[in-house]
Amino acid sequence: MPAGLDNLKHIVVLMMENRSFDHMLGGLMKTYPKINGLTGNESNPDMNGTMVAVQPNAKFQGQLDHDPDHHFPGVDLQIFGGTPPGAGRVPNMQGFIKSYASQGTGINASHAIMSYFPPKNLPVLTKLATEYAVFNGWFSSIPGPTICNRAFAHYGTSFGNVDMNLFYIQDSILSIYERMVKAGHTAKIYYYDQQSSTMEIVNLLKNQPQIFGSYSQFIADCNGNTLPEYSFIEPCYNDHPGPGGGEVLASDQHPDHNVQEGERFIANTYNAIRTKQELWETTALLVVYDEHGGIYDHVVPPPCQSDGYSAPAAKTGTGSAFNFDRLGIRVPAILVSPYVPRGTVVPGTEDPNGVIFEHACIPGTVTSFFLKNYDQRTVREKNSRNFLTPLTDTLRPDDDCWVFDV
Amino acid sequence: MKTKYKLVMKVPKPPKSAYDHGRFISQLIENQIKHFHEVEKSLLKPGQKLTHVSKIKTELEASKYLKKMTALLHPHGAEKPQKAAKRRTIKKNVKARKAKSRKKPKPSKRRRK
Repeated sequence: MPAGLDNLKHIVVLMMENRSFDHMLGGLMKTYPKINGLTGNESNPDMNGTMVAVQPNAKFQGQLDHDPDHHFPGVDLQIFGGTPPGAGRVPNMQGFIKSYASQGTGINASHAIMSYFPPKNLPVLTKLATEYAVFNGWFSSIPGPTICNRAFAHYGTSFGNVDMNLFYIQDSILSIYERMVKAGHTAKIYYYDQQSSTMEIVNLLKNQPQIFGSYSQFIADCNGNTLPEYSFIEPCYNDHPGPGGGEVLASDQHPDHNVQEGERFIANTYNAIRTKQELWETTALLVVYDEHGGIYDHVVPPPCQSDGYSAPAAKTGTGSAFNFDRLGIRVPAILVSPYVPRGTVVPGTEDPNGVIFEHACIPGTVTSFFLKNYDQRTVREKNSRNFLTPLTDTLRPDDDCWVFDV
Repeated sequence: MKTKYKLVMKVPKPPKSAYDHGRFISQLIENQIKHFHEVEKSLLKPGQKLTHVSKIKTELEASKYLKKMTALLHPHGAEKPQKAAKRRTIKKNVKARKAKSRKKPKPSKRRRK
């Protein structure tokens, strides 16, 4: 086992909201050709049939104020370009503008779905992606919205759900937090504050309040060397007054929340670990997005192992059942640790030897690392790849790793 | 920070205009509220009234409801009100200053003596 894994005591996952890989990191390919981003020639037809190319003109706020559709039928349109379900249809990633325009955005505004950020505009994400490991092939678990995708990060399945509805756990599958605690390990979900609260299965909050903490508790746990073995961090989901009369901005990067505030939140989380030497050397931080939020990505989501559930046609809204046998659209995912060599790129579908990741890899990896042989993992978890593989034997010197001044 | 670390990067702040708690809630927050409402229903005691969540339109209104429900389910997550804490400190400081000023005349009296 590499020294990076031998010394690993903590895994921290920060899950942001609703941005695709190309939108956030696609512009990096010009400087870092191993990153499977954008050439600039990728395009989609608009409602007039005019081909519209990707543009490096993404704005921090005010551009996607009409929340782009990312429900199951909308994502189906984005992936298959409007070809209805049936044998032989081919995914082509040609329906993004059609999908956005169908929300009544108008022709010109619908082109914004093809926008991406120039790397200089996202200094934090760019720095982390180029200084540590970026995954070319990390996909959301379902071509659908937030709640069912986040469920994969907690349970390794969404129990057959493809929508935003609250679901009740009826199977014997435990969340990763319950598994850890039951086995005598430590795990916590840190939500930002009470006003923002949690997106993570209200049932857990109701029945297992001990596995929750606030973000200020996360900072205190980093400072006090009391961080659990596994931590899952939620950003702030809404703008609201602060406890001292100030203003708390949403930091989730969900359109139309300010993307720069999300950058600051990622930087703060990184700093909390980075500036404590012992913690820094024993922690792996994964920054990942729950789903693409309806925003363009050029990589076709691959088929995957079905998890044994099926969503009926009435639930998918496409006129066809879904057997959980195709992943959702690609999202940014970055692994941070001083044991990760600078500029690591984990190849994805563009490489015959590439590796596919999805959110079931989170409980899958955490379970394998801390609990070893745990039989009750879901099918997707059992088939998932370990996201800690970029950790090596070599510890980078302290003055080789950046700190953010937030 | 610059003196302690060799590689430091400044992170830009969003403009003040980025804040808007009057923004209409997204479907994500709408669903988050629905989930909490389901829990609220299950916890309802005789005589208690359910919150009219359909009236929640803005992020500020959402944050107030979420705070109420989260405080109920997870009271440990409460933030300490910073302003109140500061006031307490100020009051203590004022008391300390008053006490000091009360003590000061004594030596001067002694000197007079």
